Parts: sequence; C-alpha cells; structure tokens
Amino acid sequence: MRGKRVSSASIAQGLNRFLEDDRHLLLAFEKDARGVNLRAFKGKVEGLSLFNPVFSSNSALYVRRMFAKGTEIVLMLRPCEIRAYVELQKLSQMEREGIVAVSVDCFGAVSSKDEATEAPREAQAEKGLFRDFTHGRFACMTCRERRGVVGDAGVRVDKEGGLWLCPYTEKGEGFASLFEGETGETEAEMLPEGASPPEAEQFNTDMAAFSQDFSKCILCKNCKAMCPVCYCVDCLFNGDDYLPKGDALLNKVLRAGSTDLPQGKELFHLIRMFHVSQTCVGCGACEEACPQGIPLTRYFKGISERLQGLFSYLPGRSLDETLPYVTFLEEELKDAED
Amino acid sequence: MKTGIFICHCGHNIKHTVDVKQLSDYFKRYMGVAVAEDYPFVCSEPGQDMIAESIEKHSLDRVIIASCTPSLHQELFKDLLKKSDLNPFLLRRVGIREHCSWVGDDINGNTEKARRLILAGLYSAAHYVPLEEKRVDVVKTALVIGGGISGLSAALFLSKMGMQVFLVEKEADLGGHVRMLKDYWPGRQDGAAVIEAMKEELQARSNVEIFTSTTIRAFEGSFGNYAATLETPAGERRIVAGGVIVAIGFTAFDPHLKPELAYGRDPRVMTTLDFEREGKGLSLPAKPRVAILHCVGSRDEQIGKPYCSRVCCINALRVADAIKEQYPDSYVESFYMDVRAHPKGGEEFYEDTQEKGVLFTRANVAEIIPGNEALIVRGEDTLFNEPFEREFDLAVLSVGMSPPEDNRHISSLLKISLDKDRFFLEAHVKLRPYDTALKGIFIAGACSGPKDIEDSINHGRASAVKLFGLLNLGYAFVDPFISQVFEKRCSGCRMCEQACVASAIKYDEAKRVVRVEEAACMGCGLCVSTCPSSAVTLKGFGDTLLDEEISAFLEAI
Amino acid sequence: MTAEKVEQNPEIIGFACSYCTFKASEMAGSLRMKYPEGVKLIQVPCSSRVDPAFIIKAIMDGADGVFVAGCHPGDCHFIKGNYFTRRKVAALKEMFDAFGMKERLRLFWVSAAEARRFVDKVTAMYNEIKELKNAGKTG
Repeated sequence: MRGKRVSSASIAQGLNRFLEDDRHLLLAFEKDARGVNLRAFKGKVEGLSLFNPVFSSNSALYVRRMFAKGTEIVLMLRPCEIRAYVELQKLSQMEREGIVAVSVDCFGAVSSKDEATEAPREAQAEKGLFRDFTHGRFACMTCRERRGVVGDAGVRVDKEGGLWLCPYTEKGEGFASLFEGETGETEAEMLPEGASPPEAEQFNTDMAAFSQDFSKCILCKNCKAMCPVCYCVDCLFNGDDYLPKGDALLNKVLRAGSTDLPQGKELFHLIRMFHVSQTCVGCGACEEACPQGIPLTRYFKGISERLQGLFSYLPGRSLDETLPYVTFLEEELKDAED
Repeated sequence: MKTGIFICHCGHNIKHTVDVKQLSDYFKRYMGVAVAEDYPFVCSEPGQDMIAESIEKHSLDRVIIASCTPSLHQELFKDLLKKSDLNPFLLRRVGIREHCSWVGDDINGNTEKARRLILAGLYSAAHYVPLEEKRVDVVKTALVIGGGISGLSAALFLSKMGMQVFLVEKEADLGGHVRMLKDYWPGRQDGAAVIEAMKEELQARSNVEIFTSTTIRAFEGSFGNYAATLETPAGERRIVAGGVIVAIGFTAFDPHLKPELAYGRDPRVMTTLDFEREGKGLSLPAKPRVAILHCVGSRDEQIGKPYCSRVCCINALRVADAIKEQYPDSYVESFYMDVRAHPKGGEEFYEDTQEKGVLFTRANVAEIIPGNEALIVRGEDTLFNEPFEREFDLAVLSVGMSPPEDNRHISSLLKISLDKDRFFLEAHVKLRPYDTALKGIFIAGACSGPKDIEDSINHGRASAVKLFGLLNLGYAFVDPFISQVFEKRCSGCRMCEQACVASAIKYDEAKRVVRVEEAACMGCGLCVSTCPSSAVTLKGFGDTLLDEEISAFLEAI
Repeated sequence: MTAEKVEQNPEIIGFACSYCTFKASEMAGSLRMKYPEGVKLIQVPCSSRVDPAFIIKAIMDGADGVFVAGCHPGDCHFIKGNYFTRRKVAALKEMFDAFGMKERLRLFWVSAAEARRFVDKVTAMYNEIKELKNAGKTG
C-alpha cells in the first residue's frame, strides 16, 4: 500500500494548513479534559485525537442534509462512519463536491453507557494502543472492517505503530499533498499484531427469540434517530399506517381485537431491518441509543450482512457500487424462484 | 363516505357455490355501507338500472360490484357510473367468480372467501379518488408484421379505411404459405394468383409501405406510439405506429420429429406441402399405391402436440382427390383418426372422395419402412383392432400446423404472451380473440392457432377493424394509474429514479426532490416499492390501500 | 372423551401481476380448476409493485404464507420490473430464513397461459403451509 509517512504532529500541521481558509471545516475527534469527543473544527485544530475509544454515536449522522456549496469539509473518522458517509452520498443526502473522507484504522471502542469498564477511556499514543480489547462493544468485537481503507484516503497504522497517510482517490491525492512526509510502501498491518478479523457466523434466530428480545421495546425510535443511514426525512412510521396513534389506534383496536401496547413494535423493527439492510454498516449506533438494552446490533448487523452477502455488496466500499435494490443482473438468483 | 355493494349471482355461476344472500345481509349491516344488494345478473339492463337507481337514491360515492373477474364488462360498469354522474374510478370490482365460486366446491369456504374479498374491496375503495382518464395522442399508422394471407388482408382493409400501413415481411416475397398452394380448396384457387392480386392492389395504394426481406430489431413504446426499428436491405429504418397486427403465420410440422415415418430418409415419403410443390411432376407407376396419413404432428400427446390443426383433413382429401384425378386406377388409402372436414362443403367433398374410390381406414400408423420394392406401412386398424402391413409406392403425410419459428422472438420483442402450445395468446378465447393483453397490439391468422385460409382472411380483417377503431380519432384514453410524488415526504435519495424502467422519474436539483414525467410513466409501481418512506405512490394502487386490503383479507384491520 | 384436534386451515395471501399471473388465475377460473379457498389474491399492475413491507405486515397480521407471482424474467410487461421483484423477494426470503420461516414466502413465475401451473403452485404451497401450521410452526 502506497502512502506518506506521517506523525500526529505532521497530521495536525497539515490539517491546520487546510483550515487556514475559513470556508474549510474538519470533522474529527478531539481530546480534552472531559474525554474524547466529536468536534467540528474551524480555523485551527487543537487536541486532535485520531482514535476515539468510546462510541456514543456514528458521526456520519451529523453530515446528513449538508448541501451548501462552496465549503470544503474533511471528515477524519472511523471506518464505519466513513462507510456510512459513502452510502449517504449514494443516496444524495450530502453535497458531493468539496468533501474529503478519511478513514482511520480503528481498534474498537467501548460503549459510552459502560461505566464500569476497565478499558482505556483515553486515546493513547499510537504505540500504546490498547490490546486484548475484551470490553469492546459487540459491534466492534464482530467488526471485520476495522481498517481505514474506505473513503478518499486513510490513516493506517503499521506493525511498529507508525502512521501512514494513504490516498485512494484523486481527491485523496490532493488532500495528501497538504502533508509533509516521505512517500513509501507499507504493509500497514494493524496493531495488535496477529489480530485477524473474527470468523463470520451467519445470523440465525427465530420469531420466538425475536419476540422475547424486543418485548422491552418502548417504541421510542431512538435507534432510528441515531442510525446514520436511516435517512428518510419523513419516516414511514410517522404516519398512521403501521403505527396508528390516537383515534386511528382506537379504531384499529375496535376492529382487530385485543392488542398489546405499544402496538406495532415488531413490525417497526422488521420493516426497518429490511429498509436499512442495503446500507447498514454494523456500527451499533442503534443499540448504543436504546434505553432498554435490546441487542439490536445482533439482529440488524446480522440480517444486513446476510442480505448484502446475497448480492456481494459491501456498503461503503465504493461510491461506484450501486445499491442492490435499484439494479439487477439478467441472470442471477436462480434459487429465488419456488 | 357512502358505499354501495352489489353482489351478482351470475345466474347460478356464483350463487351455486357462494351464499350471496348471506353476503348481502352481512354487508347491509356493515359500517359505512349505505346499501348492499344481491342480484341475478348485474351486467344485464335491469341489473344496471337497479344499480343506477341505488346510486341516486342513496347518494353513493363508492360502488363495489362483486361479480365476474374485473377485466370483463369493465367499460360497461364504468359507463354506468359516468351516466350516474359518478367518476368511473370510484368503482371497485371484486372478482368472486373466476377467483371464488368457480375455483372452490365448498359453499361455506367459498362464502367466507367472498366475504373477505368484498371486505378487502370495501377498504381499498375507501382510498379511491376521482381520476381523469389520461388522454394520449395516437399516431394513425399501423404496423403489420407478416405478409401472408392474413397480414395482406389486414393491410388492405386498413389502407382502404384510410390508415397509413407499414407491412413488414421477413422473406423476399409476400404471400407466406398460400403463395405455394396451386389449387386450394374449395374453389381450386391458385394461391400465387390470389397473392399477386392482393400484392398489386396494395402496391398501388399510396398509404401502404411494404418492406420485404426485413426483420424487426427493436420495439418500444406504448399504445398509440409504438416505435419499431426495422432492418431492411436498404439499411435501418425507424417507424412509428399507433398499433400493431402480428400475422406471422405458422410453420408446417416437421416430420423429422417422428423418425418412425422415415421422412427425409426416403424420397417416397413426403408431406402435403411437398406434394403441393412436386405432385404433378412426380413419376409414379401407372397404377400407383398411395398412402395418406392424417394427423401427422397433431393430436399427438407424445410429441407435445395435443391440439387439432384444423386444415389437415381437407388437405389430405385434396391429395387423395388429386391422385385419383391423375391416376384413375390408383389405389389410394387414407389412414385417419377422425375425418374433420368441417368447412362448408367439406362433408360433401369427403363423400365425393370416397365415391372416387379412395379407401378410408381408421388406424394408428406405427411406422413406415422403406423397402427396395415399396414402402411398407405398418399400423393398427382401430375399428377392427387388427394390426396391418401394406405396401405403397408413395406416402403423403398430412402435416399439422406448428407455431411460427419467430414466435419467441416476437413475443419477447412486443411483450405479448404465448399460449400453452406456443401460439400467440389471445386476450379471451371467445370474447376477444383478436386482442392481446396489450392495448393496440392484435394478432391475426394462424399465428394465434391453426386456421384455414378463409378464417385467416377474416381474422386479418377483424383485427384491422379493431385497430382502426382504436386509432381513428387521433387520440385515445388510457388508464390514469401512474405514479405521483409527495414532495414534502421526498428525501431526494433518487433510488426511484435509478430503478425506474421507463426513465420517467427526474430529479429537481433546486428542490432536491424527484418528480414523475406523466407521459413516460408506465404505471408499474416499482418506484413505490423502492421508496422506503412512501413518498411516491401509484394512483389506484397506493401503499395504504394495499396494506388495508391485506389486513381486510386477514380480518386484522 | 379425547378432544380431537381440529385441523387448521392456513391463510395464504398472494400478489399476482395483472398481465401474467392474474390472467392465469382468471383462466384457471374459466376452466373451473380447483384450489383451496384459503388462497386470496391481490392484483397489482406489476410484481415489482410489491413492497417487502406488505409481506412483513401480512405475516404480522396473521398470514401463514405469502407468495409473489409475476411474469417470467424477460417477459415482464413493464420490461424489467420482475428483475427488481426477484432481488427484493430473494432478499426478504433470506431475512425470513434467518428468522426460521423461509417456507412462508414464495416467489412464482407464472405466465398468462399457465393456469395449470398457477393452480399447482398455489395448491402445493397451501398444503405445505398447512402442514407447518398444524405442526405449530407458523403464526
């Protein structure tokens, strides 16, 4: 993999060069006294943190519906966040010009709700990156896309803990030119050494287990609100078709008979599961937001991986890969017919 | 909302296995239903009057007619609503005959199913809104594919009625199979002469353009505006036509598919068509022994041709007659299953042929063995249940009609269906034998099923008249069931635009939403199922409507 | 006295496209071919109109089985609609499989002339689902 040898210092330097123009913005992580947070930088960057070991949300959520032209924005985020951004681009949910997406190798994160963990809650120097990460979130522990190989460029970490800035597109090349450093070839194997992605296990369940797991759901819809790729400006479930409210609910009960309340939660999750199945990046932001602790990641990531696998589709891999449900091959899916 | 439900007995076709009285009683008491009646024949005049009176009396704004399948009598019922000052799209048809009474035997099961079907109709009708039929301008030209007898007849008729005709024929000559018939029955007409006369007449007409040695490479468009790309000897040519008549004829059955008959292995075995070409020039002994086999390639389950080809018995009689004429002392034996000399004068022809001394043996011929001295025909006499073996100098196979060799090509180009025997499928075998499922595309002649020359001519003319009727005004009304975008709900993700097969959805850069180009929309609803937020709907088939239909079926609404 | 278990009949909802499958079902009616009453058809202009959300809702509303039927690929009246149907239904089947209910969703290609095929397919599906239902594996 071809890239430029960089360091935290030279990265900050290059980014500051970029931010000299005050129409330029940077969306990245910042470390301060409170911990590591997502921040939108203007003018200059201080306290840049390449890594955020705590996951509270998928940052791509915040770039939705940004359409103003004339700004340039650099996103320097986790792979799952950049992948979500790429999918949002396919769905025309963000301005295309002037955005540079940079994915940074990710070592996983703990949940922001997890108070008791002993895992590091501060980003450490690259060489001291945490290993044996047993307190990680389910989404992170099962993630097979931890490498920063998506977007326009990536910040890769080699076996010695050295940093590389690797461009993947023309935009990425332009971005890389802002940084000082020697160009070279690297294997860019991530730390810890020998950590290979976990084996993919096909997700299987049944309606009884599903019912049980989702019985706690209160239909707060946080999962939908925090999902980066749940992009509809007027969600299907706002209306009375599937989740009737008020008099519509009254009428439904009078006609259909006894019903649990809130009504329609299984329907909500199953339909949403299908809707996001094309673009789900398995980040687990849904589960993070769930007040009831429902194991959403297992279901949504599991189903999405199976459905995406049918079409050999990987969300976020490339802007040129067409969304599965809006294309077809004349010869395919022979087994689909009964 | 005041809905009227009218349940048809259809004589006893529905009443027989569906308790219509129970249904009308049930719906009489249903909320939102102003009136529910059952009636012997709602399509009859008194039936229609009853509905019209009901509409007025109860000020109905939705009408549900539970009867035969929706595609039957649709125009009739829509007109009924129009006459009662009701928008015709406020009518909901519920099929409780083809989809209920005729496909189930248990009266309880059927009645329950009908109740659910009507309930689903009730809930979906609540979502119907008045719609205006879409008016489209149509091009007053016709494309006739196939220059055989039925295509020529169709083209002549259309031209005489004042329509511009494009006639496309893939061979170098017009005339199809008729051209090669020397004396076709009954008038002993010379096929080539008949074709020549028609061809001259057509060529003299200023509104006819004839393309020979021409095939169709591409086809697109919709009723009133079809566009075909022709490959002519002079190059590519694109023509626009309001409607199409498919008249590509048939292929004679190939007896190679029955190898036991030795066709192709011995020159003494020939088909009726071969005989047509070579018959008079054959060198046979002075008293030839001739076998004629009926039903070769027809009424034969084994080779997948279970149907009767209609013309082969008369053809066989013609051959027998011709042999007897040329060789009065010949021995001619016809091996038949039945003799179907159905046209006018056919039975008399059959008798005359027998009087000339032709023998008719009811038999199944098992094989023809080419011997040095003679052909040996082996079979079983089915009247006497005896096997036989006889020697002949000549065997003539009366072959049946197989579908035309371009059936699949034309079927997939034009998107019209083939029936189980791979002839073109008519919209309804009795009521609409010239129409296909697609408005503006008709079929004529043998390509829709075996028929003789007379029927082919009539079929061609009938299709021509129907097509003319559709296009004559220069405009036509098509169903308004096209897509519609709700801008406020649209996220501008453009998935529908990517999916749309007709390229009928366009993105508005300024508003960041999509819109539908009505003229191009085909009304399939793909965009609706692609949109996750229901921001686009299909008139008449909206999401809420279909959801409620489903729930009504399951009594979960 | 032993209580006899009453055999339950499944509810099957089917989506039939106007130009192919629905026509075949009309022909089946004209030819008086019989199939179980539990099969109820919803007419759609094209099989591509079928939204997976309908199918999920039908199952949640109590349908024991759902099928989507349209023209054979390549023969769609709307030219390419059924290719999209195939993708969406294949994906939904995969999802149903993950939930252990793969047999409850079927995809059929039935052309306008194939009345017999239509009847055979829906009857086979009905019988299989009936078995599942009575073994407690649906609903």
